[in-house]
Amino acid sequence: MAKSDDCVHILQGLLVFGNVVIGMCGIALTAECIYFVSNPHGLYPLLKATENDINAAAWIGIFVGLALFALSILGIIAVIKASRTLLLVYIILMLITFAFEMASCITAATHRDSLTPSVFLKQMLERYQKSEPANNSNNEFTKTWDELMLQNHCCGVLGPSDWQEYTSAFRLTHNDADYPWPRKCCVLDAQGLPVSLDGCKLGVPGYYNSNGCYDAISGPVNTHAWGVAWFGFAILCWTFCVLLGTMFYWSGIEY
Amino acid sequence: TMFPLLLLLLPAAHAIVKLQYRPVLTQTPPLEGLTTASTFVLDQPRCVFGGYDDADIWLVVALDKATSTFNNTAAPGTPETAFQRFPDSVPAYMTLNATLANYPCPKPAGDITVLRVGSETSCARDEARPTCNGPLPGPGPYRVKFLALRGSEPVAETDWSLPIVLRTAKSPSSISTTESGHSAGMIAITTILSILFAILLAGLVAML
Repeated sequence: MAKSDDCVHILQGLLVFGNVVIGMCGIALTAECIYFVSNPHGLYPLLKATENDINAAAWIGIFVGLALFALSILGIIAVIKASRTLLLVYIILMLITFAFEMASCITAATHRDSLTPSVFLKQMLERYQKSEPANNSNNEFTKTWDELMLQNHCCGVLGPSDWQEYTSAFRLTHNDADYPWPRKCCVLDAQGLPVSLDGCKLGVPGYYNSNGCYDAISGPVNTHAWGVAWFGFAILCWTFCVLLGTMFYWSGIEY
Repeated sequence: TMFPLLLLLLPAAHAIVKLQYRPVLTQTPPLEGLTTASTFVLDQPRCVFGGYDDADIWLVVALDKATSTFNNTAAPGTPETAFQRFPDSVPAYMTLNATLANYPCPKPAGDITVLRVGSETSCARDEARPTCNGPLPGPGPYRVKFLALRGSEPVAETDWSLPIVLRTAKSPSSISTTESGHSAGMIAITTILSILFAILLAGLVAML
């Protein structure tokens, strides 16, 4: 009997340890998701326009993290008290949280996959410098793109040729001969004026930004999405083990 | 009797020198804006018009199919060669007037010597400026050549260039946004999590 008692105590210890880890991970997940939701990279106007659900995944992550923390405390109490009802409540609530977190991870991963260059390209062509004075979201969109191009020294999504290969809202108000691509694509001096306007219009290397902005956009988006998806996945794997152990423990408790 | 002799003399006096030069799009340095929807960039004709110091060198831009009908005696700055009437009433126009002083020979190494055809947007509709270097009205194809005039007499010309086709822009609605593949990571996450969840549910059922 002593040996079986020892086993039970070891199992209890492991389960308590497992729940402590879950609690800490829950807090970490909440913190990470709050960080992403607070839009540290200023790209939210771009992503909002793509009906982005990575933000939705992050919001779910915040609440799941808090739920995990609360449930882990419940779990520790339930394991120490060896109470069947509490453990059953714990298992069922944990399964529900597991399902939500699973949804969040899959959503984040799927929507990261859907943000291909074509999506951003089409959106940029249709909305950049679209002259609709009543519509504020287009101004915000244009401002985001301008800042993106200025800070990262890039032009368009794949390159300045985006503006040549496709017609765009920009092209409607800016003729092709004077503006083969927006002025923000030119190398600018300290006052914000092109170093050489002719060099920029001709496309002379050194006077215009020849690379596209897709890398600058996809970098933060990738971090965001994989941060939510993979961390959530790791937590869920650990939670799986703890739940299996709890179920085994529950079935071993006498009435 | 004098008349046939005079006719014989006339072609001799008006013989235009055909220079062995073909206008070409700029190859070095590589330019992103080499051809756009309404402009293109040519190399300047350096070291081509040697000896024609007093001549005006004009650029003739014509539709590809009109090159055979272009008459070298056409005068620049007239309605017959006005940019504003191109290409509907007029199959070719003359622009970018220069003299040999604008094209010094030899070309200093490292200088970018180009001519951007189509860069003047301000005079594109101004009929008072028939020699406007306005934006081209369509994708072409176009051919160009340089013509040197002394006064109103053509004295030298280059070959016609190869046909130059400009870019045509597609509509953004032609961009397909639906064909995104699924990355390996997403598939891994989905399958593994689904399996784990299924095992947990099975465990719950077995427990109860």
